[in-house]
Amino acid sequence: MLLSRRDAIRGLTFTFGVAATGFAGRALAAAPALAWTPTALTPDQARLVDVVAELIIPKTDTPGARDAGVPQFVDRALADYYNKAQADRLRAGLARMDADARAAHGDVFVTLTPKQQTELLNGYDREASAMQGQASDDDHFFPLLEDLVTVGYFTSEPGATVALRYDPVPGAYHGCVPLAELGRGWATR
Amino acid sequence: MNGFAEVGVALRGSGRDSIKGAKRGADMANLNGRARQKNTYDAIVVGSGITGGWAAKELTQKGLKTLVLERGPMVRHLEDYPTATMDPWQTKYPRGQLPPDELNAHYPVQKRTGYTLTEYTRHFFVRDDQNPYTEESRYDWIRGYHVGGRSLTWGRQSYRHSPIDFEANAREGIGVDWPIRYEDLAPWYDHVERFIGVSGQAEGLPQLPDGQYQPPMEMNCVEKAFKAKSEARFPERRITMGRTAHLTDPTEEQLALGRTKCQYRNMCIRGCPFGGYYSSNSGGLVAAERTGNLVIRPGSIVTSLIYDEKAGKATGVRILDATTRQEEEFYADVVFLCASAFNSAWIMMNSTSSRFPNGFGNGSDQLGRNVMDHHLGVGASGEAPEFADMYYSGRRPNGIYVPRFRNLGDAATKRDDYLRGFGYQGGASRPGWDRDLTRPDRETSAPRGFGAARKAALSQPGPWVMGLGGFGEILPYEDNRITLNRDKTDEFGLPTLTMNVTIRENELAMRRDMQTAAAEMLEAAGFRNVRGYDGGYAPGLGIHEMGTARMGRDPKTSVLNAHNQVHECKNVYVTDGAAMTSASCVNPSLTYMALTARAADHAVQARKRGDL
Ligand SMILES: Cc1cc2nc3c(=O)[nH]c(=O)nc-3n(C[C@H](O)[C@H](O)[C@H](O)COP(=O)(O)OP(=O)(O)OC[C@H]3O[C@@H](n4cnc5c(N)ncnc54)[C@H](O)[C@@H]3O)c2cc1C
Ligand code: SF4
Repeated sequence: MLLSRRDAIRGLTFTFGVAATGFAGRALAAAPALAWTPTALTPDQARLVDVVAELIIPKTDTPGARDAGVPQFVDRALADYYNKAQADRLRAGLARMDADARAAHGDVFVTLTPKQQTELLNGYDREASAMQGQASDDDHFFPLLEDLVTVGYFTSEPGATVALRYDPVPGAYHGCVPLAELGRGWATR
Repeated sequence: MNGFAEVGVALRGSGRDSIKGAKRGADMANLNGRARQKNTYDAIVVGSGITGGWAAKELTQKGLKTLVLERGPMVRHLEDYPTATMDPWQTKYPRGQLPPDELNAHYPVQKRTGYTLTEYTRHFFVRDDQNPYTEESRYDWIRGYHVGGRSLTWGRQSYRHSPIDFEANAREGIGVDWPIRYEDLAPWYDHVERFIGVSGQAEGLPQLPDGQYQPPMEMNCVEKAFKAKSEARFPERRITMGRTAHLTDPTEEQLALGRTKCQYRNMCIRGCPFGGYYSSNSGGLVAAERTGNLVIRPGSIVTSLIYDEKAGKATGVRILDATTRQEEEFYADVVFLCASAFNSAWIMMNSTSSRFPNGFGNGSDQLGRNVMDHHLGVGASGEAPEFADMYYSGRRPNGIYVPRFRNLGDAATKRDDYLRGFGYQGGASRPGWDRDLTRPDRETSAPRGFGAARKAALSQPGPWVMGLGGFGEILPYEDNRITLNRDKTDEFGLPTLTMNVTIRENELAMRRDMQTAAAEMLEAAGFRNVRGYDGGYAPGLGIHEMGTARMGRDPKTSVLNAHNQVHECKNVYVTDGAAMTSASCVNPSLTYMALTARAADHAVQARKRGDL
């Protein structure tokens, strides 16, 4: 089963035309080729972030994380913003996701089915919330990644202006407006 | 007095070469008569922040050729607000927050407020590693060194001190008596409010005198309901709209300065492209410049006052040019210290002579003592029981205000456990998309989930939350003090400050009440999950440092007289927070401005009479 799927995916890599970039022998499942070049993430990690970000904020009636450039945002945060401890935690988390995927399903995270991927993420979410409020709260990688993806999405132009409402110059304050008239939350306060 | 323009810098337009004139001055090791004349003005103002801007405006409008010396770089209104119109997606860092490593390395103090220092505002705050001081006790000295000072980044809340504030010290035997009363300052409050523009609601309360207000901003549904229900239960706890230095109905004068109506963006701290809120840069300095009497010299660190023993007065100030590191002297008939409470005290402590071995005008030994601030970080919050279908539009740069309701002089409001009182600032809002981000205070440990459902939920506003945060009066304690440390110097080789400031029993007892009373009000109004909190307070966090050269009636126990003149040297005026004899519980800058305008008027008259 597993083997044949991997083989099928290996075949796919050629249709995406990225076999030459070092992914030969690896799978790409639902992840399309990266249209950008990561700086802080390795190409494998970038592909993983791309898939996980879209699972956290999927495309619905509004754009998803991928369309909003969130994977690039995560890459930038890793390059410019995070300190070493945070960067290490995030990278270790990415490594763990692939290790867990391998242990459970025999291949890296991006090759799994969406259902399998979701199950793994649910596990991390439960683990992290069990740790919430404890001293080690900060130590779980998943909230770190989820926070970053959430911030990246809702501060992106599509996130702020399509998923939310954004008005750079409101001009006035109205203190009691039916929510139905506005429809969505404001992007900034 | 020709030729001074070359030293100065126009606030708008061309003339970015302020330093040229400075270099030229510095090259003349021996100041000859001509050079001395070239560096001579009618008045010198040290600092260009909230009070320096006012001193400059009043002195120049009253005809004095005035030199403003500012230690930091030029910030021109509109031109030098590089982040004012940035959209959220244009930041380099997530949410515009600076990287933890950068904060720790360069801003270990400025980061302590948790909200002021960001990628959007970094250029308006000092780098702590370049501006060191010693904390014998923790002191959060939040500041910005540039033209405009903290008038660019202030919260703009603007309240008057009341008659009871000016009488309290005398009545209770605390510190020294104010040498002035409310009536002395009232016309100057009027004058300041008319110029800066304050939006607010008159309430007719003796403990919070009304002023000259433009129309108040609007309360939202939850605040209106809170007001109705809480006031029904606690009528003495008035709930009013915050009084704030924003234009809601600009005057001709304000429009002529290029300022317009507030646009409800709430990005004020980056500088306002509309001139919607008051800053020196958009207001006082522009008015001063238009008189033709203003010269402003950025990059000029005033290090000391020059005292003429024979004449018995100050003849000017010494500066260190921040770029060339050359010393230079400037002369004037009158000097206004407006460098902010700690920096004006620092200049005075650093100005020693045989007449003033212990610091300028410090015969009383009160210089640097009686440091006050407002203690905060305590209050309550709760969830609104209704209005789930209502929201708001626009970002109101203001909240609601609950004027002081304790110890007003009658039996009903008297507290046995502490003196003075506090006010609340607060407001209701619906939390946004960032409400479930990981934080220590996150209330639930349920998994957050991810995916389409969470995305949809975060795209809607969260449940209404109302908060009340107290601002409490701190008493003047002589041993709450800053001192000059000549052993530890900064990058310019200048002495630094040592802080020794703590809050005491009176403040701690008040904090307990601040928490309880806020929770009571929210509960009375039917709010759910009401939680009192005391998140702790470190001196300085109120960003209202004051008291270091207090006004008083007696030169033996105070540094300044009733007109903000140094008792021992009448042609030096100190009009920033240093002058404060007591703190009240209201935000102080409006009072600093009123004191400054009043002192400037006095100086102009006294100079005319030949009294300086
Ligand atoms: C985030 C924030 C929120 C605030 N909110 C409010 C509020 O809502 N209401 C309120 O009333 N107040 C508020 N404040 C406080 C308010 O900003 C200060 O009270 C006010 O700016 C003090 O005015 P100032 O002129 O004394 O000092 P500043 O405005 O700090 O200006 C002092 C100037 O002097 C210059 N200077 C210092 N030393 C020297 C020297 N040796 N030589 C030459 N120049 C020198 C500095 O560079 C600076 O430009 C807030 C402050 C901050 C930071
Ligand atoms: S809220 Fe008003 S004052 Fe503040 S930045 Fe916007 S327009 Fe300017």
